[in-house]
Amino acid sequence: MIAVLGLLVGLVAGLVLHPTVPLWMQPYLPIAVVAALDAVFGAARATLDGVFDDRVFVISFLANGLVAALIVFLGDQLGVGAQLSTGVVVVLSVRIFANVAAIRRQLFGA
Amino acid sequence: MVTPSGRPDAVTALLGQIWDDALDPGYAAAAGQRSSSRSDRSWNGRSVRVGTAAGLVLIGALFAVALVQTRAAAPAVAKGRADLESRIGEQTAAYDSTTAQVTALQAQVARIKSSQLSSTSEGEALNRALAALGLQVGQVAVSGPGVAVTVDDAATPPPGTDPSVDRVLDRDLQSVVNGLWLAGAEAVAVNDQRLTALSAIRSAGDAILVDYRPLTRPYVVTAIGDPGTVETAFTSGPAGQALRVLQQTYGIRFSIRTVDRVGLPAATAVELRYARAKGVAP
Repeated sequence: MIAVLGLLVGLVAGLVLHPTVPLWMQPYLPIAVVAALDAVFGAARATLDGVFDDRVFVISFLANGLVAALIVFLGDQLGVGAQLSTGVVVVLSVRIFANVAAIRRQLFGA
Repeated sequence: MVTPSGRPDAVTALLGQIWDDALDPGYAAAAGQRSSSRSDRSWNGRSVRVGTAAGLVLIGALFAVALVQTRAAAPAVAKGRADLESRIGEQTAAYDSTTAQVTALQAQVARIKSSQLSSTSEGEALNRALAALGLQVGQVAVSGPGVAVTVDDAATPPPGTDPSVDRVLDRDLQSVVNGLWLAGAEAVAVNDQRLTALSAIRSAGDAILVDYRPLTRPYVVTAIGDPGTVETAFTSGPAGQALRVLQQTYGIRFSIRTVDRVGLPAATAVELRYARAKGVAP
């Protein structure tokens, strides 16, 4: 309940406040979005598995986002930013798929 | 999942590992810790709830920002395109009006020149020579019987072909024009653009340009010459054959018809900047 509320509040705040993303941050936006999606689906699965832990959720989201951004930043400096972005997106997408599959099994038993 | 390195399924194993560990192992570890020591939690009660809520608000805001950002970028791209289109339109219109001005001035120059020259008999001869030469190099509007070849892109691209090639290309028009010259045409115009010895038919992007002027389809190549001879020679010549191949392979449409009387406009002035008659000092 609190999760859905929090997401809604964030969405509304983002839409209402309309913040502009500084130019230097724009390459990291897709990575941050994918990392956030991964954290949300991971949390949903953990809740269904009955092992959800607030501390793990917050820390893993922040840490994953930071590491992903760091990898992309390093890649940008070394000239392989696009490739590393792809790598990060692939790994996180695989995790998202796996978690959604687990949620599906939990909810529908199929 | 431990895989000895060098095995061919090492990559699959890596993906499998990501798949198996999809749920952050931290959750399992925390759950294990909790069950072993129920009372001891490093973060407790309220601050934890606040942390989760803050994280989720952050995530929601992130989604909203990404959404807004993507939406905002799309019209900017479309606007840039529209701006470019209107600029192209403006420049083309400016070019057209300038060209019309040039043509009018050329006609005026020709009138003044002939009136000046006709005052003496020597000038009269010069006048006739000029007229004949102007006819040859395309400086004078001409009319006469001839042939009109209409070429157009494929109406429905044949299945299994790349739609970008089912179009008339610059080299197709070049081949048509060359075929008409070969068939004995005396003057040729493409979409009412008179061709001279210095004309170029080329493409820029998807557009075909004649002397830097973009053409719009359908492409009508008009030639003045003996209608019967030109039509037969063109149809049976290499250009006609090439057109038939294009029609069969890519569905390019074309038609050839003879015309009793057709007018071709004068070309804009051909100016030679470097070429000088041999033996004449520049």
